[in-house]
Amino acid sequence: MKKVAKQDIYKILDQWRKDFTVFTPSTKDGAAQMAVWDGQDRSFLEHHRNTVIPPKAGIFLNMEKLFGFRKDAEGYKLEVPAAENEKRLIFGLRPCDAKALAIIDLVFKDAYEDNYYLNRRKNTILVGLGCTNPYDSCFCTSLGFGGPTDASDCDLMLTDTGADYIIEEVTDRGKELLAKTEGLSEANQSDEASAQKAGEAAVKKVTRKIDVETIKRNFPASFENKELWEKLAAKCVSCGICTFLCPTCYCFDINDDASKGSGARYRNWDSCSFPLYTKMPVENPREEKWRRVRQKVHHKYTFYPELFNIIACTGCGRCIRLCPVNWDITQTLTQASAQAAATEKS
Amino acid sequence: MTISDISQRPRYLAGGNVYLPHIAVIEKVIEETPTVMTFHFNFKDKKLRDEFTFQSGQFGEYSVFGIGEATFCISSSPTRRDHFEVALQRVGKVTNAMHRLGVGAEIGFRGPFGNGFPLDELKGKNLVFVAGGIGLAPLRSLIWNVLDNRDKYQDISIIYGARSPRDLCFKYDLEAWGKDKTVRMTTTIDRAAEGWTGNVGVVPKVLEQAAPSPRNAVAIVCGPPVMIRYTFPVLEKLGFKPEQMLTTLEKRMKCGVGKCGRCNIGDVYICRDGPVFSFAQIKGFFSSEY
Repeated sequence: MKKVAKQDIYKILDQWRKDFTVFTPSTKDGAAQMAVWDGQDRSFLEHHRNTVIPPKAGIFLNMEKLFGFRKDAEGYKLEVPAAENEKRLIFGLRPCDAKALAIIDLVFKDAYEDNYYLNRRKNTILVGLGCTNPYDSCFCTSLGFGGPTDASDCDLMLTDTGADYIIEEVTDRGKELLAKTEGLSEANQSDEASAQKAGEAAVKKVTRKIDVETIKRNFPASFENKELWEKLAAKCVSCGICTFLCPTCYCFDINDDASKGSGARYRNWDSCSFPLYTKMPVENPREEKWRRVRQKVHHKYTFYPELFNIIACTGCGRCIRLCPVNWDITQTLTQASAQAAATEKS
Repeated sequence: MTISDISQRPRYLAGGNVYLPHIAVIEKVIEETPTVMTFHFNFKDKKLRDEFTFQSGQFGEYSVFGIGEATFCISSSPTRRDHFEVALQRVGKVTNAMHRLGVGAEIGFRGPFGNGFPLDELKGKNLVFVAGGIGLAPLRSLIWNVLDNRDKYQDISIIYGARSPRDLCFKYDLEAWGKDKTVRMTTTIDRAAEGWTGNVGVVPKVLEQAAPSPRNAVAIVCGPPVMIRYTFPVLEKLGFKPEQMLTTLEKRMKCGVGKCGRCNIGDVYICRDGPVFSFAQIKGFFSSEY
């Protein structure tokens, strides 16, 4: 492990900036999100909490041009934007959000490869930062990975020990990057011990819990309980915030924009919260709100595990703390599982 | 269910890009009914025209550039390769735009996607086709496929219905199948109409009267949801087992390849795991939202 004094981290970023477009958490545009580092911004040193907009937004873009088209005398010509070969480095993303990328990789890789996503993903180095100041809506420790300082889905992992960042080399590409980086010192035993202590303290700060084993066992059976879902969905306003800001939500829409024979086809984030999402000319399988809320939660906790053997939720808590009506996925999961278990027994 | 292995399916991806359509040219337009048109099309790229293959029941994503993309089964048979066909009812943005296109116009095509009908399992069987309205389009691909290899199959019955005589699609096919002595063809309309001397009654009722035997048979059903919902119970009453009943399902789709998220019924994605399912599979679906 290596270490660097916190106040010197910008010197490291400055070096990386020569080879990569560096993204850091930033509040300069209002909401905390990953933004291209301008070489000056130090706000990420003060803003110790996770971003509002998840880092997925830098890889699975909110709006992305799939191709342009124009019509000439010979007919339609399609032009695909040049593949982005820009090398990118995301600094300071949290383990939950890195895990989320590993989760949605499965969909974008499955059967037909989605080159737009995968190309950007391949060209992006993830430098994680252990989450030493989680929100009270966070429940990552319940989701079966290492929680707030889990390094497994990053290339490098930093832990804040107060005065220093202790840097763990996770992947070969992380190791290579670090080997080229100047201004780092070797972490000694006491540094490693403080990193471990900081990690353990962070785990203790995550107080919200769900019982995943019980949920896995009982929650799937809650699906056909219409009354339960009507109740659980009652206060939802179908705004879609919980899906747009969820680091594992990947649904999208495809739309054309054109005038006079030329234009482009775009992909945009979409949300299962909206009735239009599934609307067909003659019918709509998820016209009613309770069906949509049910789809959202069961997709994450029932269908995705069925298909890819992993829950599509990392406990980042955004859908709880950013919901305008305080809808709470942990309550929903717990209540639905309890109800399903009770129904089973009777 | 776990994710199905679809790696064996043929894929024709423009530039290796799953979202990029191939350009196709409309060669012929047939007005089937006041709201349905069939388009004959072919790929602009000669190599693709020669190499493109698909299975009956597979679908494509059709583009009208500037308007958008929509999902339809290929309605022609892979045994008739000089062009491809798609039949569209005018109901939404893309179908309305398609209906305004004429011969020579260019459209986009991505595909073929989905699983198609299990041809190998149908060989040596008595086949009962049950279709309503535009639902004949995907079955028509299979019907011609089967008729072009007639000796591989046993008895063939077709029961097809529409609301009124003018809503019957593919009248030229109905006529050809009616004349074919190896096909038991029944055409019906929902309510009596002037000048109509054929069967009257909704498809499930007519199916019950025709009472095809379930012995060594497979029923292939497609039509509006309400027809499908009433047809399965009739088939069950006639003695068909859920494994002997096939249908092709329809949901709103965007990507066609299992990514955009919206066409699922529980953990089943209609685009990548379907659109063809047996009633036995559908009964085992996690959700009743089919």
